Amino acid sequence: MLAGFSFIITILSYVGAKLLYRKKQSVFLSPLVICPFILISLLLSFQVSLETYSAGTQWITNMLQPAIVAFAVPLYKYRALLKKYAVEIALGVFGGSIVAIVSSVMYGKLFHLTPQLLDSLAPRSITTPLAMNISQTIGGLPAMTASFVIVTGIVGIIAGPFILKWFPIHHQVSKGMLLGMGAHGAGTAQAYEIGSIEGAIASLTMIVAGIITIIVAPMLVPIII
Amino acid sequence: MYLLKCIAQIGGLLGIALLGNKLTQVFDLHFPGSILGILFIFLLLETKIISLKWVETGANLLIAELILFFIPSAVGVLQYKQLILTNGASFGFVIFLSTITVMVSTGLLAEFLNKIGKGR
Repeated sequence: MLAGFSFIITILSYVGAKLLYRKKQSVFLSPLVICPFILISLLLSFQVSLETYSAGTQWITNMLQPAIVAFAVPLYKYRALLKKYAVEIALGVFGGSIVAIVSSVMYGKLFHLTPQLLDSLAPRSITTPLAMNISQTIGGLPAMTASFVIVTGIVGIIAGPFILKWFPIHHQVSKGMLLGMGAHGAGTAQAYEIGSIEGAIASLTMIVAGIITIIVAPMLVPIII
Repeated sequence: MYLLKCIAQIGGLLGIALLGNKLTQVFDLHFPGSILGILFIFLLLETKIISLKWVETGANLLIAELILFFIPSAVGVLQYKQLILTNGASFGFVIFLSTITVMVSTGLLAEFLNKIGKGR
């Protein structure tokens, strides 16, 4: 009963936030920022356990997998564009992925975090299911990684517009790459708001970054921790 | 009609995702099944075994609502309340600094690669 209620409230809060966001384009009203805030407040005030909530919303999370598979469609539609910028994307995303892993671990060390937390932070720049998978492989806490990935997405979509304004980054490909690399799915959604080319580049970046991080992180992280 | 089409296409994509999971399990591959799923759909489209019309509507809907699928995981931070209460500020700083570093360096690197790429 409560589980079914969790499902309905999650969907309703999402639809509500989305309508609100459409009216007033503030990142603080982005569903990824406001919905978890509302839902956590509700769980705490009505003393509903996280287990109950998770059981009810399991299928929402499961839909992330077909949603990732769905990215085959924009990749296919924009394959000419992707071919054109293949070198830029391959090199740029490789560089971005290394920076993401190394900077997460280095800043984490600066704040004296434990090795297990550093392992959980290292893959935070890529999309949740892939990041959790890597976290598990290298000895982190997958659920903690999931929350780091979410916070990364929130920081990314708040910072993204400022970075695009303050730095000399003008090309559609560069814009798409920085959003897809910095803020995975959330950044990709924001890139689609700018334009369909930016969105396509961001979604490809997100996927390539995931693949590169899967290969590189298990080798790189033990060296730098 | 639109709804029916979406449900059928999303069902198909879900099937491919599950198949991908199964294959990575069977062959003991160390990456998520959804990556295999992307390759699989891409190849099916490329070889014209399936047409774009068969998957496009459902795929677009899933991508448009991508953020919804992250929300329950975001609520899941609740289980690490203690860890977050003691380390939360550090996590916030690390992620903030690192995300900005990644975005600025990726953006500038991409812009640079674009400039030298124009010379080709």
